[in-house]
Order: sequence, then C-alpha cells, then structure tokens
Amino acid sequence: MSGETSPIAGGATQNWITLAAMIIVGALALVSLYMGFQAYGNEDIEIAFMYMIIGTSGFIAIGYAFFRPKPTSMDPLKTKKFDVITTLECPQCNLKRVRAFQRGDYIYKNDEPCTRCEGKMIITSIHTRKEEKK
Amino acid sequence: MSLLQPDNEIGMILQTLFSFAFIVYLFYAQRIQAMTMLRQIEMTLRKIKGLRDEGKTTAIETINEIGKPERDPTPMVERFMEHFMLEPVSMDPAGVVGKLGSILNVREFTFEKEVEVMAPNAEPSERNNIENLLEASLALNIFYKVIRHYYLLGKKTMNIYIIMQIHMILPLILQQIEAYSSALTAFREGMPIGDSVGPIVAAKLLNGAETREVAKEMVAGEIEYEGRRVIIAKAKGPGGSVGKPGDAVTNLLNENKGKVSMLITVDAAGKLEGEQVGDIAEGVGAAIGGPGVEKYKIEQAAMEHEIPMYAVAIKQGMEHVVAPLVEPLFEATDKAVSSVKGLILDYSKEGDTILVAGIGNTVGVAQ
Ligand SMILES: [Zn+2]
Repeated sequence: MSGETSPIAGGATQNWITLAAMIIVGALALVSLYMGFQAYGNEDIEIAFMYMIIGTSGFIAIGYAFFRPKPTSMDPLKTKKFDVITTLECPQCNLKRVRAFQRGDYIYKNDEPCTRCEGKMIITSIHTRKEEKK
Repeated sequence: MSLLQPDNEIGMILQTLFSFAFIVYLFYAQRIQAMTMLRQIEMTLRKIKGLRDEGKTTAIETINEIGKPERDPTPMVERFMEHFMLEPVSMDPAGVVGKLGSILNVREFTFEKEVEVMAPNAEPSERNNIENLLEASLALNIFYKVIRHYYLLGKKTMNIYIIMQIHMILPLILQQIEAYSSALTAFREGMPIGDSVGPIVAAKLLNGAETREVAKEMVAGEIEYEGRRVIIAKAKGPGGSVGKPGDAVTNLLNENKGKVSMLITVDAAGKLEGEQVGDIAEGVGAAIGGPGVEKYKIEQAAMEHEIPMYAVAIKQGMEHVVAPLVEPLFEATDKAVSSVKGLILDYSKEGDTILVAGIGNTVGVAQ
C-alpha cells in the first residue's frame, strides 16, 4: 500500500462501489419480484415461485451487506484524549483542591503552597475523570 | 420442466444472472472471502500506521520539549524504533533465565545511554519517561511491521490460511494497539498508569516513611504495623520505571536473614471479560509479570529463605494497563492496602518481619 493515500478517501471509494453494486442488485431484485407477481397473476405458480426466490435472495444479499458484522470500525484510530485530574490535600488545614493534571505532577509530590495556610499541599491522587459511558 | 422455461427475455436474463451468480459463488466463495478479509486487514493496517507515526512524532516532540537537544533527534528515534532483542537459545534450558537477564540488562543500559544522548537536558525521572515512551513507539512499530508482513504475504499468495491467521487475531491486536497508543499520552506527561497500582499501594503503605535504595531503581522503607515490622519495596519514582524487584527482594531477604516470615507481592493482573475493573483477589505465589527474570529471582530467594509467598492482584483490562490510571483502579489501591494489612494480620504474629513489594511501573508515583 502506498503511504500517501489517505485512509478516509480509500474507504469512501470502496463504499461507493459497494453502494452502486447494491443499487443494481436491488433494481434486479425489484424487477424479478414484479415479474413474479405478474406470473402469479397469470396463474403460473411455478414461474412465480422462481422469480420470487430470485427477488427475495437479492434483497437478502443487500440486507447482509448492510448489517454484516464489521470487525473493525471505519473511523481511523486516534489517540484518545484523556481528562486527567490531580487532587491536592493540605495535611495542616485539610484543604482539598482538584485541578487538571499538569506535566510534572506525581503522587506524593509536595511542593505546591497551600492557598489557605502556610503549609505545602500534597498530591494524593491522579486519575482520569470517570468517563461517561457511550 | 416448466421451472426452466422463462416466458420472456427479461426473465431469461434474470435467470441467467441468478445461475451465474450461483456458479461464481460456488467456485470463488473462498477467494471472495479472502479478499474481504484482506480489505479488513488493510483498513486496520492503515490505522496502525497512523498510530505508529503518531508514536514517532510524540516521541520526537517530547524529546525536543523536555530534553532540549542540540541536534534533531529524528534519526536517533528512527534508529531506536528498529531496535531488536534476540532471546537466548532454550534448547538447553539450564541457566536460560540468567542469560535472558543479562541480555535484558544490556538492553536497558543501551536504552538509557540512547536517551541520555537524545535528551541531554532531561532530569533522570524525565529520561525514564522518555525511555518508556520510546519503548511504546517501538512496540507500535513492531506491530505495524508484523501485520504488514502478513498482509503483503497474504496479498501475494492469496492463500486464505495465511490471511485468516492474521484476520482471526485482528480484534485482539487492535485492543493492544489502542492500549499502547494511550501509553503515549501517559508517558509523555508522566501520568500514573494502570500498572502503577502496585507502586501506589506500596507508597500508601509507606505513608511518607524514609526510604533508601536497595537495588537498581528500587527503594525500600520500613513501617510498624500492629507490632510487626513491615519492609516495603517499590520502584523508585516518579519517573517511569519498573526497577529490579527481584534484586530488591533478594537483597532485603539476605539483609534480614531468617527474620522475614512472609512475602507479599502486589501487582496489576489481567481481568477476564465480565470481571470488574479494580477487583481485588488474594492468592499465593509471586505476582509479577514481565519476561520472567524478576519473578524467577523472587521465587528463588523465597525458596532459599523458605518464606511463604502471598499475592494481591488488582484486576484490570488490557486497555487499562498502560493507559492513564482510571478512577476505579485508584480507588482499588485503598482496598488492596487493606487486603495487604488483612493478610499480615491473618498469617503473621506480633514481632514478625514482613516484606511487601509493590510491583509495576512507578510512573507518576513517588514514595
Ligand atoms: Zn493548608
């Protein structure tokens, strides 16, 4: 594969071809069903049966193409954005403060001055915020 | 037979098409299947390539930001991403752990030196993080190259069995790759990861007690708990490092010959689907992952000193191990601390000495 093709464009082309094929199959299936009903009207039961089988299998094929399980999603993988929060606590006045993570933070780091008293605040926890389930 | 006697032209065309499709499918079903699978592999390959490139850029950016090198680190990073390790031959297995251990030591030494050259102005802890970041990029690169290999081989031979092999494990590989891509964020910023739960438990047990270096990148401190002397070891933070827990345990047991009556290891463990993230399980044996060298050392030392080994496992999924620490796992460390304390109370008596080792990567966790 060439490194230059963008993944989205490639996927879209494939989609377009699939869509065209689906439309053709769908049209043929419709015609077939129509002929089936016509034959049924002429009391040609066997012919009608055959056309209806062809027509329905066409629709089944389209349905399968739509709903088949896809092992990988189409969207390109991106590194997730993480919402990480740091909790600081002051051992002297028990002030608790939560802020966004900054580079250089680590658990048990204690060099941030307390905003309420003279003490130093200790980082007691760093973790991602609870994610809202999709 | 009237079934084969269509009454007009359109009917004929339709029937021919239908029969034709049937025959095509009869003979080419496998080929069509192979092509579908190849397409899915190709899609995955594109994603992996994107992630690998992102890993490389992240590494270069971070080195430029933190290390402030005088020259462009790109060629060095590219060279690093191709680094490989040959495992020792295991036909004659006696002593193979030692051989693997020394190879791993050389690998570590080489990586440290490389990072030192790439990022001369970084602090030691930042260097450790860069090293971990580079290792994650290296892993992504290997994933990319192996999958590309199978993809191209499958395309060349159109052999369904070759294609199937890689197609079957694609979802699992994707999961692992996603995990490594989250590791990029964590190591770039120096955030604690899922694997840091062991060191966090150790740090919580230490609770600010004084520590000293007992092995390479390993520290240990002592606390008293319910009349027992508890020695706690962990990797030296807050840089990303797993240290040498095997050496630390061996040294500590040798120092306290005959005194230690119990060894507890705390580590992250893979959960099965359906288990909750942050579940705690207690067991016996040495809870420690990795290539097996450190586990071997711990088991050897425990056997020599005849010390029973207990283990506390904190369950997490593959997607959590190297990703920034999630809240349920952070909460689980408190439960693990009480679990360790429970084990100590249940299986030791007053006056005993107990050794607790918090195993895992200590990125973003001090002591
Ligand atoms: Zn305060």
